[in-house]
Amino acid sequence: MGLADARAMRPGIDVVEADPQADRRLLEALADWCDRYTPLVALDGGDGLFLDISGCCHLFGGEQALLEDMLRRFRDQGFDARAAIASSAGTAWAVARFHGSATVPGGTEAEWLAPLPPAALRLEPAVCTGLDSVGLRTVGAVQGAPRAPLARRFGKALILRLDQALGRIEEALSPRLAVPELSAERRLAEPIMTLEDVERVILLLAQSLQTSLERRDAGALALQLLLFRVDGAVTRLPLGLSSPTRAPERIARLFHERLDALGQTLDAGYGFDLVRLAVLTAGPLPARQEDLGEQAADTGEALSEFVDRVGARFGRAVMRRPVAVASHVPERAVAFLPFAPDGPVEATPASIPERPLRLLGRPEPVDVMAEVPDGPPLNFRWRRARYRIVNAEGPERIEPEWWRESLPVVAREENEEERTYEDRRKAAAARRLAQASRDYFTVEDAEGRRYWLYRQGLYGLSGQAPRWFLHGLFA
Amino acid sequence: MATPAVARDTVFALRREIAKIEGRLAERLASPGDGAVVLRGSGRVLGAADRLATGVAALDATLGGGLPRAALTEVHSRQSRDAGAAAGFVLALASLLAKQAAPKQPGAKQPLLWIGTGGMFAETGFPYLHGIERLFGIAAGSLLFAEAPKPVDALWIAEEAAALKSLAAVILELPGDLRPLDLDATRRLHRRAVQAERPVFLLRHSSDPEPTAAPLRFVVAPAPAGPRRILGRPLAGSIGPPAFAVTLDKNRLAPPMRLVLEWNCDERIFEHRSSCREDGMQDPVALVPLSRHGTDMAAAARPLMAYGLLRFPAAGRQP
Repeated sequence: MGLADARAMRPGIDVVEADPQADRRLLEALADWCDRYTPLVALDGGDGLFLDISGCCHLFGGEQALLEDMLRRFRDQGFDARAAIASSAGTAWAVARFHGSATVPGGTEAEWLAPLPPAALRLEPAVCTGLDSVGLRTVGAVQGAPRAPLARRFGKALILRLDQALGRIEEALSPRLAVPELSAERRLAEPIMTLEDVERVILLLAQSLQTSLERRDAGALALQLLLFRVDGAVTRLPLGLSSPTRAPERIARLFHERLDALGQTLDAGYGFDLVRLAVLTAGPLPARQEDLGEQAADTGEALSEFVDRVGARFGRAVMRRPVAVASHVPERAVAFLPFAPDGPVEATPASIPERPLRLLGRPEPVDVMAEVPDGPPLNFRWRRARYRIVNAEGPERIEPEWWRESLPVVAREENEEERTYEDRRKAAAARRLAQASRDYFTVEDAEGRRYWLYRQGLYGLSGQAPRWFLHGLFA
Repeated sequence: MATPAVARDTVFALRREIAKIEGRLAERLASPGDGAVVLRGSGRVLGAADRLATGVAALDATLGGGLPRAALTEVHSRQSRDAGAAAGFVLALASLLAKQAAPKQPGAKQPLLWIGTGGMFAETGFPYLHGIERLFGIAAGSLLFAEAPKPVDALWIAEEAAALKSLAAVILELPGDLRPLDLDATRRLHRRAVQAERPVFLLRHSSDPEPTAAPLRFVVAPAPAGPRRILGRPLAGSIGPPAFAVTLDKNRLAPPMRLVLEWNCDERIFEHRSSCREDGMQDPVALVPLSRHGTDMAAAARPLMAYGLLRFPAAGRQP
């Protein structure tokens, strides 16, 4: 029905544009919320969710209780949901959509499916119409028909779906999120609202995780805290660590920093009724004999804990350690890695040419006056101030890394000989290199400040006038 | 009227107590002639091991033996374009610190933490590993950087880091006009540094002298570098090792002083500019052997005219 028709029938109708993106986000938020029942939640199209509740039912008092609890909570949030529990995903899908909320006892799938239309088998519409035209109007009829002619006429997908629904073939669900290695959770009868209460629960959860981690000789490297709000919103707080740990106090302290940094942005609303702490990544942490003496105080541990606390508060990118990289281009010669207490220490090349103490993140263009075009500058203007150069050293030519850059594309002309084409290609490549090559000068101004300037491009070769940049400051 | 000995002892004890409370760096108590009784915040006697000798006699004498190892030290630059020089001076001190590291933990190589803000690093440039390593011998493995989003966050990180014993030193680099960095904040930093027995360097650019709890404040400006030396002789038109015009602006022990220090990046020591060797005046002996089979370089003119120069120098003919 068109909008005009609808308006004609009901003038006061409300028109809302369809927003598939928002629908998708809502479904994902619901999937997040369903994390409270099982970690294996998969999206099903635009309007459904698959939950793999194998081994989770007893936590909620059985399958029926779980179903009722879930439906009640969905209803409280304002959703009209239908859910079915069955031993195969296909049957659950069919029953939920074509029958209503129910629990299918194991072994009775065929009976439950029999009265449903073939569309309940998740088939293409064309196949459904085809089945309808030959008089197969229920799944039971399809089941009764001989398989080989069915497969020949309607494709193998029909047989596959039928077998999946009946549980003859395993169907793999792809969960939305990686399943954590370990997790501990606490359901709260009374929702908690204050950060202090949340932190207390975190400490309890970390204590219960400690035993499991100890049994595995492992420590947590990446943690995630999930806060389930009463009204269905789920907050995820990831936390990375620099070294494996399982000490509850340390984990609680790190989450304290994390929550402290969040401050007002964490909206507790009407409170959290479920708190879960999951270990996403674990690293080996063998048990160690503690020393009774005083020198047992391991200083490296204090440092990595400090780094973790800074990381929890401001993000892990804040603390970085530099590593030398095999590159002669100054800005590529240093890379930064996150801190690791016993990370590999790369050996720096033995001979480092003279380099400035501070390097500007992005070279800043300067206006330069030079006596000779190729020579060192006489004075330059940087950040609206003029500097007179007293002393200069250089140039040091630094060519670009041609093996990283792509060669310029040269179009081939008609009737062009192979050799002239090659020559033209080489000339274009040489011009590209000349445009990017830099001549560095160390200059000292009248007050004794030392700068690292470079001229990009070569006179005559590159086709355009070279430009000058300031790249660093010396001590 | 002679003060009874008991009363004098009481006065000393009280003074000691006050010094402890105030966390003052040093206070000369007894006769200055011995110069030995120097008290620090923790109530211990400050010995030579607690001071970082700069290697420059004039500066060390003014500082009472060297820079305190466990304290907050301010290093200012008047303009942010002097950031290179100020950072170089702090790194030179850190390099000295690494060289004179306490022999207690020989194997433990502790990292140097450099805290700054994103804006600061964007303005003055990020510390460059290869330059630091070449000039000051601080390797990649013993450097850590913290780039805080805001100055307040940098201060938070610094306060946490100052209490750690597992860092060699902490450098906190902040812009000049910063309200949160007041007397209280610097006192917290200083107390933590004293307790952890590690130095904290407060590097501030384009700032005016403000009241802080740091016992020492240097104002560092660049000084023109001397020429590079090739085989002991200066090379004209070259830029040699860095030099710093250092003003000791705040010091409890002595009036302010100013001196020019040159960093010798081979020996990794400071040299006082006035005591640097005069150009070309030392080592009259040639450092290179005479060339084989070639003509000798023309010698400087001597009072006597040279006759019979058909003889080649002996060195040239030796097998």
